[in-house]
Amino acid sequence: MLWYKAWRESRTRFAIIASALAGFCLFAVLLHHQIQSGVTNPIRSLRGNSYSEHIDRLIYSGTAKGMFALLTIFLGLGGLLREKRHRTASFTLALPVSRLRILVTQMAVGIVELAILSLLPALLIPSSSLLVHQYYPLAEALHFSILWFCCGSGIFAAAFLLSVLLGGEYTAPVACYVALMLEVLISNWPSLRPYRLNLMWTMGEFGTMHWNPEHNLLLAGPLPWPRLLTIMAIALCMLALAARITQKQDY
Amino acid sequence: MMLWYKAWRESRDRFLLSAVTIAALCVGFVVFHRQGAEISDRPLTYLEYIWRIVYKGYLRELFVLLALLLGIGGLLRERDHGTAGFTLALPVSRPHLVLVRAATGLLEIAVLSLLPALVIPALSPLVGQFYPWSQSIQFAILWTAGGAFIFVIGFVASNVFGGEYTAPIAAFLGLLLYSVIVDLPFLEHYPLDIHDMMSGVGMPYFKSSVATLAGPLPWAELAIIFLIVISLVALAGRIAEHQDF
Repeated sequence: MLWYKAWRESRTRFAIIASALAGFCLFAVLLHHQIQSGVTNPIRSLRGNSYSEHIDRLIYSGTAKGMFALLTIFLGLGGLLREKRHRTASFTLALPVSRLRILVTQMAVGIVELAILSLLPALLIPSSSLLVHQYYPLAEALHFSILWFCCGSGIFAAAFLLSVLLGGEYTAPVACYVALMLEVLISNWPSLRPYRLNLMWTMGEFGTMHWNPEHNLLLAGPLPWPRLLTIMAIALCMLALAARITQKQDY
Repeated sequence: MMLWYKAWRESRDRFLLSAVTIAALCVGFVVFHRQGAEISDRPLTYLEYIWRIVYKGYLRELFVLLALLLGIGGLLRERDHGTAGFTLALPVSRPHLVLVRAATGLLEIAVLSLLPALVIPALSPLVGQFYPWSQSIQFAILWTAGGAFIFVIGFVASNVFGGEYTAPIAAFLGLLLYSVIVDLPFLEHYPLDIHDMMSGVGMPYFKSSVATLAGPLPWAELAIIFLIVISLVALAGRIAEHQDF
């Protein structure tokens, strides 16, 4: 029942984000010719690129990546503080389960939704590319899905923690957005640049892509596992902290 | 007066958080301008650096989404919280409620737009630099107009969509859709892109070689934007009038 409750609470957000992401991926693939040839050219910088570069610029290191990162913030907003605002917290707390279990269920449902969102481009792009007589490797798409999931879990966890800490209306998404922008800004600071701490760079493999020998496919290098595991560990710590804070909060 | 106080209390946390962040970032950008200018692969003048990092880049992007989120709220949210009945029991019309909330939000947008204009020229002499007040005030006017337009997207979305986070997500997607549409080839020659208007990119009143506003501000376009904003606020009031709570 807890799983169903968590799903009901997040399903509208999830459905809208998934539809938007899927719609954008299909737009990028099915209208690639028009976009690249400039017949109907929505994105100015995409004229005349190869298909692989087009997908990279528009999806994996472009608009879709930004959309995914920003909308993940809304997926992560949960916890009992918002139920307190709705005056439903007492009903939830009256259930014969611990606060920890309620929260862990919310987190788990959110993480599963995040995984599905990360996988969406990998499911849609290689398959729909065939419809327009183009090719995008599934392995490459899955590579980015892993990156999006790991980095997205960091954003998700930050949003979850902030929604547990900040009770004001829409204060948590504002704070999380500010935190994300600060992370990007600070990690771009010249002295920190070599460490590649920028979450958005990691998600889009910024500066690490290379061409295949035939020069028709833009490929990513091996997955940066140490960095991804660090992000996941930080996310786990933030979620644990959120659970700990919730246990001590007074409703 | 009480309605204004109510609208202020509802948006206060978001506004203060946004204001503190924008002000702190402006201070940081000015104080650490030497290190910040290294972001570019070529040497930048102080004017170019401020324009790139504040008026075109990071701060503008931050401001845009903060403006969008400031627009969220209203009676549909109150219905979710179970407080709409109390608000609607007040002896004022629904359009009046909507108007006060919009006016409060627009004032907050104007204050946020003015923050860089106050902080940057005032602090620049402390680090041995100079940023003209006239430039920053003109950018503040452009940001107020652009911010008002983006604010009203969030505002209308929150009057149309119920559900806890549906309105901000819909507003964000609406803004994205708008940004894609205004870049369409048959539209990109018209000054419809609010992002370009705010930063000055490609605009006749902006001199990119020195990164300064050189010509008169586009008063006609700014007036049209404010008319659109007022019309959309009126539309939101009309929608609220017909809603069932």
